Amino acid sequence: MQDKDVAEQNKDNTNSTKEPEQDDFTQRFLEAKELTFSRSPVGTARLEIHNEVCHLRVIVRKLMPLSNPDKYISLAADEDTEIGILVNPSELTSESQIILNEELDKRYFTPTIKKIYRVKEQFGIHEWEVETERGRVTFQVRGLNQNIKQALPARLFVTDVRGNRYDIPDYRELDAKSFHQIQRHL
Amino acid sequence: MSTADTPTGTLDELPESIEQTLKTLDIHFEKIRFAVRSDVIHTGTFGEEWFVLTDAAIFTVTGEGEVLHYIPYESVLGIRAESVVDAGLVVLETHEGTIDLIRYSNSCAAKFGFVARFIGDEIEFRDGKRDEPPVWDYKVEEHSCKTCGLLLADEFSPCPACTKKHRVMLRIFSYMRPYRGKAWIYTLLVIVSTLIFLFPPYFTRILIDDILLLNDATAPAADENITWLGQIFRSIQPAVLALSIAIGGLLVVYLTRVLFTVLHSRLSAWLTFRIAANIRAHVYEHLHNLSIRFFDKRTTGTVISHITEDSERLQDFLLEGLSFLSVQLFLFFGIGTMLFLMNWKLACFVLIPIPIIVMGAGWFWRKLRSLWHRAWRRRSKLFDVVNDSVSGIRVVRAFGQQTSEVSRFDTANVDTREYETKAELIWATYYHPLLFAVQFGSLIIWYVGGLDILTGTMTFGTLIAFHAYLTMFYEPLRYVSPLINWASRSMTAAERLFEVIDSQPEQTDDGNLKDMPNILGEVQFRNMTFGYDSHKPVLKDINLHVKPGEMIGLVGHSGAGKSTLINLICRFYTPDGGKLEIDGEDIKQVNLRDLRRQIGVVLQEPYLFSGTIGENIAYANPDASMEDIITAARAANAHEFIVKFPDGYDTEVGERGGSLSGGERQRISIARAILHNPRILILDEATSSVDVETEKKIQQAIDRLVQNRTTFAIAHRLSTLRNADRLFVIEKGKGVECGSHAELMEKKGIYYKLVETQREAANVRAEAQILER
Repeated sequence: MQDKDVAEQNKDNTNSTKEPEQDDFTQRFLEAKELTFSRSPVGTARLEIHNEVCHLRVIVRKLMPLSNPDKYISLAADEDTEIGILVNPSELTSESQIILNEELDKRYFTPTIKKIYRVKEQFGIHEWEVETERGRVTFQVRGLNQNIKQALPARLFVTDVRGNRYDIPDYRELDAKSFHQIQRHL
Repeated sequence: MSTADTPTGTLDELPESIEQTLKTLDIHFEKIRFAVRSDVIHTGTFGEEWFVLTDAAIFTVTGEGEVLHYIPYESVLGIRAESVVDAGLVVLETHEGTIDLIRYSNSCAAKFGFVARFIGDEIEFRDGKRDEPPVWDYKVEEHSCKTCGLLLADEFSPCPACTKKHRVMLRIFSYMRPYRGKAWIYTLLVIVSTLIFLFPPYFTRILIDDILLLNDATAPAADENITWLGQIFRSIQPAVLALSIAIGGLLVVYLTRVLFTVLHSRLSAWLTFRIAANIRAHVYEHLHNLSIRFFDKRTTGTVISHITEDSERLQDFLLEGLSFLSVQLFLFFGIGTMLFLMNWKLACFVLIPIPIIVMGAGWFWRKLRSLWHRAWRRRSKLFDVVNDSVSGIRVVRAFGQQTSEVSRFDTANVDTREYETKAELIWATYYHPLLFAVQFGSLIIWYVGGLDILTGTMTFGTLIAFHAYLTMFYEPLRYVSPLINWASRSMTAAERLFEVIDSQPEQTDDGNLKDMPNILGEVQFRNMTFGYDSHKPVLKDINLHVKPGEMIGLVGHSGAGKSTLINLICRFYTPDGGKLEIDGEDIKQVNLRDLRRQIGVVLQEPYLFSGTIGENIAYANPDASMEDIITAARAANAHEFIVKFPDGYDTEVGERGGSLSGGERQRISIARAILHNPRILILDEATSSVDVETEKKIQQAIDRLVQNRTTFAIAHRLSTLRNADRLFVIEKGKGVECGSHAELMEKKGIYYKLVETQREAANVRAEAQILER
């Protein structure tokens, strides 16, 4: 239902963009069916808004990367120029979706911890050895209290000494051994 | 194209195999200039990928040697390191378009940031947009211990591995040195009072065996076990006399025990507060010699808690924990010895419940502590909810959100209740079983000892004394775990305190420092580059020569780098690249005390210390005469309002000058700067948020202040800069325009645009005011 509203609103917006002298502060919501993502020969993500314009290198951002990471994607031509907001990327063609997801993956690196092999403390530095969706990695965390942020209900963000952040979306869903590893230190 | 010779050793070493693979390609190059290793591969998983710069091209190569990108250097138009969420990527602008070249995690951000900046500068130099080739000044951002290689928090931190725990204790004791005599007396008192603690049960035994039950036929005394004291009491007749002497003796023992406990507690208090106060003073003194960077890396709260909480925690432990621990430790071994001396067989039985008590108590306290901590966290969240909605009560009512606020509170409340209940349940469930473990020990003793009495191998008095010792013996065991916790927390607190003391001071005099008692005020920036993180430069290639006495207005959008420039002049930070010179001397070499004595600042938010107005004006010159203070106040147009206060110059300003208006505080801080009489003056947006009349007064005060001083002034309001000799326009960290107001207006550049925008805004405001009337 929400999407329908958005679509209607969208029509109004496309109209208003044609009158540039108006003070236009309404947000442009883009519909998946009017968009095509493709790769340029040098590998950047290209965005075509059908019958309108083609952006050579599109920058993608999630508007709600934590609470609703799969919807509401802001598309921008450069750091400061937003093209519009794509509400529901799942309606894109599968080729476009692949490219969009690749771009999102490039922008949102935060590895998700799947399994904790061990957490070892030495002189106030905790060394974590974990499995993430980006592979196995070892990192150091100083002062667990300041560097583990809890988001309700059970999400944890761990920041290591080099400023990398790791995500545990729900620590209750970790396997027993991994859970025990953090439980000991929390 | 000309390329600077770049050292390769400072970055990553390209593996031989990859270098060989590159050479077998038909792409020709003479040599590899440098290579940088990334820890993320192009598909986004952790791995190894290389960025290679040869004399002719940029390559990216996988860890297996497969070339991913090959871009001839001539076709590169620009390069930048773009930071994304928790990672980064190098982006290349080429004739063919924009290329996302290589990805990396934050671990590699510093080196890729540097490389992108270096190559970018080199390209600008090639294209004639830069006069000099960039300098290879790559610095390793990470700091590790020089002895053991452990990663450290920053360049100031001492290595925690090399400052061992027992050393921390020794260091605490080293603060006792001035009170050495008293410390020895204290130790002696502890030992003696412990020994006295051992007496009463021993006396009980004599009381029972050798006096009360001596003539009782049911208690066949095992004669071979009689002590020498027992012998003496047996010989005293009548028994009533022996009893009186024994009770009298016990009374003396108890009284002595009280006396010694009082003495060692008093001495412990005396010593502890001195040690803690000395450590605190040492930390505080050192804090004022530390670099501003030290404070950047830590919140104000952390630094304050070093001085207050950490030292308090240490003090509490030294005061109560340490004497408790030392007494209990002495007792534990003292009683242990007594038990074994009295009856070693029985003593062995005493040991049976110990592992259960220690382990059980350990588990119990650990569990409880974590639950208490979680409950505490929930409670503080609950407090936040209350605080939030009560502070915002008008907003809550205005939006009619009472119900949702109540339900928000309920959620937090239930949450708190759950955790508090859990913690209490653990206590209720396991505390008494734990006590039982202790009682179980005494049951064993009653049974085994009882058997011995029945067979006549042990006296009743021995068993009673044994039992009394037993309770004293088990007692500390129950608290082993919280005590160890307490001790280790206090040692951590002490470590944190020593960390501050061990941190490198801002400037150490290595004999090369230049004393500059009389600065003229010539300031020169030469290709100066600086960033709070050096891979993210805030200021780039600043070049500016300021003559003594000149007033420079710093102009630019917020975040352009104006305040940073000022921080560098105060030498709160040192430039990463290039130079900043004062009177031709590199600022790094100038004696800081001399430099700061001759720099004055009037800040956006003037900070007044608690104290009187007079004290605040004389802050930098406490010896200033009253005449000087009044003259300064008059010059700052502050005198006129100060005389109107009932307490005049003795008016208390309150914390941060709370009882004064913004304009008044501003003028007091100007008076402070005038009295300080600096050679270099820094004004940061001195006339914001005051009415027109006050602004005029402040402007007048400033005009007097800047006379004959080198002045750097930041103001968003361009009209305040009308007196500046030259304006220096900063845009995104670069000096883009410099000249007088008229020159810059004629140039119609960035400054012109800024002025126009402000004029428009001012017109709108003026129109609005007219309409209102």
